[in-house]
Amino acid sequence: MMNRRIFIKKTAAFSAMAAAATMVPGILFAHEQKHDNPASDITWHKAPCRFCGVGCGILVGTQAGRAVAVKGDPNCSVNKGLLCVKGYHQIMCTSASDRLTKPLIKKNGKYVEVTMKEALDLVAAKMQETIKKYGKDSVAMYTSGQSTIPEGYVASKFMKGAIGTNNLECNARLCMASAVAGFLTTFGADEPMGCYEDIEHADVFVLWGNNMAEMHPVLFSRMLDNRLRRKNVKIIDLATRTTRTSKAADISILFKPQGDLAIANAICYELINNNWLDKNFIEKHVVFFKGKTGLGYGLEDKFAFKDEPEAIDFDQYKAFLNDYRPDKVEALTGVPAKEIKYLAALYGDPNLKVVTYWCMGINQHTRGTWANNLIYNIHLLTGKISQPGNGPFSLTGQPSACGTAREVGTFTHKLPKGVVTNKKSRELAAKIWKVPYERIPDKPTYHTTEMFRAIDRGDIRFIWIQSTNPLVSLPRTSRYRPALAKDSCFVVVSDVFPTPTTDVADVILPAAWHIEKSGLYGNSERRTQYWDKMIEPPGEALPDAWMTIEVARRMGFAKLFPYSKEKHHEEIYNEYRQFHAGKKHNMAPLSVLKKQSGAIWPYIEETGRSTLWRYNSRYDPACDTTKDFDFYGKPNGKAVIWLRPYEPAPEMPDNEYPFWLNTGRVIEHWHTGSMTRRIPVLHQAVPHAYVEIHPADAKRLGIKHNQKVKVISRRGQTVLPASVNDRGLPTPGQVFVPFFDENMLINDTTLDAFCPISKEPDFKKCAVRIEKV
Amino acid sequence: MKQRYIIIGFWALLSAASAIIVNTSLVEERSGENFDVIAQPDSNTLPAEEEVFKLADKALELKQLLESGQNVNKELTAYYSRRAYPGAPPVIPHPAGEERSPGGKDCLQCHRHGDYAPAYGAFAPITPHPELISCKQCHVPVTTTGNFVANTWSSTAAPGSGQQALPGSPPVITHGLQMRSNCLACHASSATPAKIRVTHPERVNCRQCHAIKNNEKNVPEIWTR
Amino acid sequence: MPIKSYIVFPSKGKKDLLRQQLASLAGCEVIPALNKDVLILVTETFGNHEEDALMASLEKIKEIEHLSLVSGYSDHAIHDHNNK
Repeated sequence: MMNRRIFIKKTAAFSAMAAAATMVPGILFAHEQKHDNPASDITWHKAPCRFCGVGCGILVGTQAGRAVAVKGDPNCSVNKGLLCVKGYHQIMCTSASDRLTKPLIKKNGKYVEVTMKEALDLVAAKMQETIKKYGKDSVAMYTSGQSTIPEGYVASKFMKGAIGTNNLECNARLCMASAVAGFLTTFGADEPMGCYEDIEHADVFVLWGNNMAEMHPVLFSRMLDNRLRRKNVKIIDLATRTTRTSKAADISILFKPQGDLAIANAICYELINNNWLDKNFIEKHVVFFKGKTGLGYGLEDKFAFKDEPEAIDFDQYKAFLNDYRPDKVEALTGVPAKEIKYLAALYGDPNLKVVTYWCMGINQHTRGTWANNLIYNIHLLTGKISQPGNGPFSLTGQPSACGTAREVGTFTHKLPKGVVTNKKSRELAAKIWKVPYERIPDKPTYHTTEMFRAIDRGDIRFIWIQSTNPLVSLPRTSRYRPALAKDSCFVVVSDVFPTPTTDVADVILPAAWHIEKSGLYGNSERRTQYWDKMIEPPGEALPDAWMTIEVARRMGFAKLFPYSKEKHHEEIYNEYRQFHAGKKHNMAPLSVLKKQSGAIWPYIEETGRSTLWRYNSRYDPACDTTKDFDFYGKPNGKAVIWLRPYEPAPEMPDNEYPFWLNTGRVIEHWHTGSMTRRIPVLHQAVPHAYVEIHPADAKRLGIKHNQKVKVISRRGQTVLPASVNDRGLPTPGQVFVPFFDENMLINDTTLDAFCPISKEPDFKKCAVRIEKV
Repeated sequence: MKQRYIIIGFWALLSAASAIIVNTSLVEERSGENFDVIAQPDSNTLPAEEEVFKLADKALELKQLLESGQNVNKELTAYYSRRAYPGAPPVIPHPAGEERSPGGKDCLQCHRHGDYAPAYGAFAPITPHPELISCKQCHVPVTTTGNFVANTWSSTAAPGSGQQALPGSPPVITHGLQMRSNCLACHASSATPAKIRVTHPERVNCRQCHAIKNNEKNVPEIWTR
Repeated sequence: MPIKSYIVFPSKGKKDLLRQQLASLAGCEVIPALNKDVLILVTETFGNHEEDALMASLEKIKEIEHLSLVSGYSDHAIHDHNNK
């Protein structure tokens, strides 16, 4: 018989526990422990997401040394707890069975497993031998916008400070170079002036050649959320293809490829001729310039270009725009004049706050720098810039294209602060790196496309590729794959998984993935985010930074790389911060970044705050306080409105190749798919690439949905299934292919033409024909 | 035989409950003369407790539906097979409507109120967050079963259901509540597996009796009390 | 023979000390919360006199920040039952 007294005591205790639970949520008592289950025994760690440049805060749940779950960080102001399907499932790639865990060396055409020591010895010896035989400029490093800040920093110090060559490039040349050149030419300083908080303030969003619903989904949802809550919000999709973004937008405007240049100028024509200008702003903060025209397209090896800026006045600019009256450019843009006038009226309405978003449509453009300049022109003419809810905002595709590629400067012409051609920049770098000033060369060498051309020519004889997959992501891989496979160049590839790039490597180094190392990323809104290592990398895999340091030490530069294995990421970041000391670019200290979900530079240490809107003296203490706006990137504090005309694309559809080819992404896959394709949920949603064809074109050619077709250009061909009226709908005469699929390499057909100013290739426009297989 | 109980426990419970409704909203101070006070986006825009009541007006309908016996007796294993791990967004197990649509109305026409979908012969699960309309941002269809390369991923054990401190006491909440704080959506729809279905959807203040229990560490605070 | 249960809030940082003190009193059982500064106290005494004495000793413990009664049971019910 159960003792009644004991039962009553238990009931009394339980009443108290239940009452306590209502008072103190989440309270636990030992009595309940027997009902525990392992599923709830999870520890959460904060990090930025591994994928795109939005920089969502994630929380990774670990259990018994394994990552088991991901959720959005509710305390991260970027995403406020929301993620996209890639973000939620990212950790699943770590359990892919073909993970690289041991270094591999190619011996007699076969890969042999070796120890990390042996592999790094070989890399160092080969690099040294190549320098001795062919000179410093015969070795190169090609890194990534996915490299962490410490990884990019040691690569720069190693190549430019230790070896003394500017042969350092990164894949961000393929995505963000035009944005950088646009910022530098217009404002004299890189990266956006605003931040994501603009979304909560803007009335109108113009998405310019950017399928944001699939490429920046969390920001897109934040925008939709605002439209739901604030009744007056409008989203305008300006694109060459109907997408999910167009479906969700209030207005979808379709234009002909390359027509964007004329549209932007036509908007400016309207603004001026309707007197929708902020004259006071223009007078105080803007100057007018024109540059060279007829620049060429960089199709030939060793192409060189130098712009010659020339000051002009407002009247000259106004006269230039006369060619762009909306009805005059209808044929060129395919956009009815009334739609351009409508857009101009939105930009010109002083009562509306407007944010323009763009990404690869504008950047991957043979006139990418111009296209960026032209969007700034609109915002400068109307004074809608650097204020909450008003501004142009260039979005980013890689998690640290801003933080590493642009801020650390892993480009041939860059240093962590400034450019190699500037004596002061070289002196600062030499001082912080503790190397002789003369060692840092004052001339840039090869930008990305030219670097792979140099490999093809045999000028570069050693290359170390880290954290990127160029043989899927470069334009015209039909030329650069055989180039990289040539015996003349010794190829080292560090990666997490095997890729078409590791296929041609002489040495494959296994790299630690995201949460298997500590690091820092910088997102599109100038936010620097830190994370701690959460799980151990498998096998002999190491962080990229540590492999670079090990090779540098073997080559006799031990003194320049005195970092410890455990804390190198912290020591390197602290060293790197010195470059950006000062009001204009101060980076938050590690102690702050460890506590909160990132901080936006310039970080104001006195107040512990991020600067949300640069160049506006109400928000940015780096401004001259006597002015309302101060574009301090330029010596005179004034931004530049550039006279940039329409020029045609290098290759246009003709009788033989009648279609435009556009390439891009889908929401499920990220870039070359080396990670996302190994995530079952994502692969099972979109298992392969396809070619989108307009139903009218498909009908005319007798092509049905899912039927295999050949996409043929002057450079190569790819076989893919047709997608008719499915996820995306290109305009008639245009086809679209996502580039993630290494088995259907669309970049074999693309054109390696680039913007002569930014050197960024155009992946969005070349001519192809379609044939049934 | 006559017994007398003096039970004042429930009075204590009631008084405790009324005493704890204290709102401690912290207002971030923005000092400095040069700076405008800008409405900072609420860093906790995620589900607060009011989410619990979101479907309250539908509670009686849900009860009628459940009682009518018109439901598909889905197994809990099928429920978990659609998630990569407990708490992951479920995949779309049926043709996902118009491919070019980001979701919104196309999905919500069935998933807002859990209507019967004749095409699939099943009741649709109710989304706990109908305000997020770019559905395919997180939920993707399954168009193939294979993998690109083999993957040894295994999900962690699902939190056990029906955990009670004492026989007969209300079960505790064993899962995280981020994006899933609207209890009725998942526990009272016709698509809910029998094992996790609530018997009394008309009592809409779920957390009056069901407490949260998990041993997770470093869990960020998501409540805005 | 009253049985009562309480929710006890210890003074800041005194949870463990308080738990020991309470556990050492005759007729007291303590269930500490695992993750919050809260204790559950269950008392069992054998008459009103003893009950008063226990209340007096509880009042003397300065580590108790706040104490609230949740439920109580009369002695008759228990006594009757045990005699059956």
